[in-house]
Amino acid sequence: MSARNVEDKVAVNIKHVSLPMSRVKLIMKSSPDVSNINQEALFLTTKATELFVQHLALSSYKSGSGKDHNALSYSDLAGAAEESETFQFLTDILPKKILAKDYLKSLEELPEEGDN
Amino acid sequence: MEGDGSTTDASQLGITGEYMAGSHYVLQAQDEEGEEGLNDQDDANGGKDNFREQDIYLPIANVARIMKNAIPQTGKIAKDAKECVQECVSEFISFDMYVEPLKLYLQKFREAMKGEKGIGGVGVTEGLGEELGDDSFANQLPTGIITADGQQQNVMVYTTSYQQVATIILFIYFFWGGNLRG
Repeated sequence: MSARNVEDKVAVNIKHVSLPMSRVKLIMKSSPDVSNINQEALFLTTKATELFVQHLALSSYKSGSGKDHNALSYSDLAGAAEESETFQFLTDILPKKILAKDYLKSLEELPEEGDN
Repeated sequence: MEGDGSTTDASQLGITGEYMAGSHYVLQAQDEEGEEGLNDQDDANGGKDNFREQDIYLPIANVARIMKNAIPQTGKIAKDAKECVQECVSEFISFDMYVEPLKLYLQKFREAMKGEKGIGGVGVTEGLGEELGDDSFANQLPTGIITADGQQQNVMVYTTSYQQVATIILFIYFFWGGNLRG
């Protein structure tokens, strides 16, 4: 079974992509700097994206508290975004969550600022 | 939070963009239900202005499958975790984070290319190496990847095409691939 796992991993890593390249291309084109997209670059981007997902999931899982109960939660991801330099670019879209009532409570406690 | 030209706008993602001073937080509904609407087929909203959500994200099933395969022996991945990785992926693909170091890299590469006919090891990736956080790749530019015959050179001077991006992506591939296998 472990030999087969290794083979699967190798097969997945080399030629096979699990993500739809057409959709990747669409997202690439949403960037203003882009005109045409080379097929090789598209494949490589898709491949790199796959590796990115694996890396993000694994890092978050390892450094988060989820591994205690064998689960990956949002807070693990948010933690990884804050702590790891590689994932700094994700802090805007992976902010930590607090309950609304806690936020409102702390608003009352903050000194009066010119917060316009 | 200062807008930074990111394509995944906070309001589009349905995340309330209110932050506490000094740190990043998002308001969460009291009932913890989270952003169910993120993957709705909202045809009424599929206007020309905003892309539909299924257009700007990769399909969540694929993303979830890759995540599952990456994590050792796990039972569960939270639904909002999957959705957020979906958004992170789109952020990753849309190049905002490495357009600037990439342009810097290309500029240095072109300057280096002007001087030499034979392509030697070009140590131009210091800036990029810092971005990737791994200096061991700084001097190992695999020059065979950038085809630099006479015609291609003109292309590199005047445009930032995706062929050069492919090289950077390859760096990233090796960087992360090394971490995963190691």
